[in-house]
Amino acid sequence: MDLVSIIGLQNHDGGWPYRKSGGSWTEPTVFALLAQWVEKGDPSSIERGLTWLRAAQRQDGGWPPRPSVAQSTWVTSVAALLPRDAIGRSHHAGAVDWLMGQTGKETSFAYKLRSELMGDGSVAEQARTGWPFFPGAAAWVSPTAISILALEKARRYQTASGLQQRIQVGRQFLMDRICKDGGWNYGRSNVLGVDADSYPETTGQALLALNEVELPKLGKALAAAQDQARQCQSAEGLSWLQLGLQAHGIIATGPPRPLPCRHIGDSALCILARAALGGRNIFLE
Amino acid sequence: MENGITRRQALAASAGCLALTRCSLVSGHRPPPRVSIVRAAYTQALYDTVRRLLVEHRVDVRGRRVVIKPNLVEFDPGTTVNTHPMLVHAALEGFRALGAAEVRIAEGPGHRRVTMDLADAAGYFETIPHFEDLFTDLNLDEVSQVLLQDPFSRLNSVYFANTALAADLLVSLPKMKTHHWVGATLSMKNFFGLVPGSVYGWPKNVLHWAGIDECIADFHAAFPRHFAIVDGIVGMEGNGPIQGNPKAVGVLVAGKDMLAVDATCCRIMRINPSGIRYLRLAAGPNRLDEENIRQIGEHIKDVQTPFELMPHFQTLRL
Repeated sequence: MDLVSIIGLQNHDGGWPYRKSGGSWTEPTVFALLAQWVEKGDPSSIERGLTWLRAAQRQDGGWPPRPSVAQSTWVTSVAALLPRDAIGRSHHAGAVDWLMGQTGKETSFAYKLRSELMGDGSVAEQARTGWPFFPGAAAWVSPTAISILALEKARRYQTASGLQQRIQVGRQFLMDRICKDGGWNYGRSNVLGVDADSYPETTGQALLALNEVELPKLGKALAAAQDQARQCQSAEGLSWLQLGLQAHGIIATGPPRPLPCRHIGDSALCILARAALGGRNIFLE
Repeated sequence: MENGITRRQALAASAGCLALTRCSLVSGHRPPPRVSIVRAAYTQALYDTVRRLLVEHRVDVRGRRVVIKPNLVEFDPGTTVNTHPMLVHAALEGFRALGAAEVRIAEGPGHRRVTMDLADAAGYFETIPHFEDLFTDLNLDEVSQVLLQDPFSRLNSVYFANTALAADLLVSLPKMKTHHWVGATLSMKNFFGLVPGSVYGWPKNVLHWAGIDECIADFHAAFPRHFAIVDGIVGMEGNGPIQGNPKAVGVLVAGKDMLAVDATCCRIMRINPSGIRYLRLAAGPNRLDEENIRQIGEHIKDVQTPFELMPHFQTLRL
């Protein structure tokens, strides 16, 4: 699906669905807009998309997955990837404030105290604060990686010291969750004593978020990501790997057979990855 | 459909179907649920086996909308982790032959976002003609909020995928597996995939904090029009549902009562069903007892295959 097709699937309300003829959702709307940013899309389509997004923002500053879901979630970090001047300064600031207020439930004082009292050995791993998908749940790799990227962008406009600290701790969270094979999965490197395998999509996201981390610490991760790229079975996974590796100066080649894009989100992501391979990584702008 | 509807309202609006309350499932006199155990293999004969199972249980789907919910978890060409595509295809064909107006396949994996690619790698595209047209990724489906009545979990409401809510019959097609958090994952646990990742994320960790066992029991009550066929041809033992080892049993276990089906699967796996917390929660007194389930086909003792259990679940051993 090329950019023209993506634009053609924009809903009348200005947002994009996950799938053709569905209702508008925050996440595919942002990715469709980002794809238009890197490929000179249709200004009218972009403005309608931004208008939909602004209207969807909740009073707490966060975004819901879609307006009918009465809860701000991790998609706030996705919306905050948009250029501040495009989405609007107050909208962007609200998103950053909301993100700064989110932590994984496992790092709450009450939960840590309970874990200590019960002799839970995983308390040390839970020391780093990441971001959950949904408020009140634990932190995971994907929302943490995207939140770091969003806060990195915000840091260019805001000087509040908390931003840098959350980014650093978030990166430590990611470093704590590296799987034995060098990559990342959803966020558990070991389940009940058994090492868990990593995934291409989360490995790419984590590498993207760790773009300022020194290379020696990531040597194994970068090698694992390149292996994953060569054997990847999904366009979405390969796109995230290409974006993540490009952030470290590596151009990743995919498998011999072309991987089909299945929906608007992964099609838009492929456009972003292609732009990154050409030198423009929108996540790092 | 928008926020705040109950499952009753959703069903009334879409299909005019029956009411639901947990009480309706656990009270009143009714004949003991029937559960079939049939020997099977991943061969062409599987299609006939599944068709006979559906006839045996008098599954009336004429003019109805059927949604088949397999268990797709990980990239695994060997399909030890995922429900075998041939069984899914056999069920699809079986329900079509019985006159269903529409049969869809739908799943929302818990950890992986790339559902279609996962299905491709598991052989679903190759085995099931026009799979892409028949399949709904429940993680990216439209959603409705359903208020839970008298829930076991800490959730008062939950968002479900509309494709699942609109089904006249929801068919759970899980793998027979041990599970490192709840002991065993069978037809009831399989309904976790009805909850959209687009709302709750990957993993759907909110459900864990609300109580995994309790959520399983809640979702079982929220979808009372169901049928189950458990893929026990090759299951998974040990550190399931992902990191375990293949375990060949060579059976399908099927029935209209998912509690009875799952209790029977447990006995086949030599797990005490009363030790599985979500079964206890959903069942109420005596419903899990073997004498209260009418077995059809093979006897449990003839197919019983002990599944390796994680150390913390050794007390579940029958």
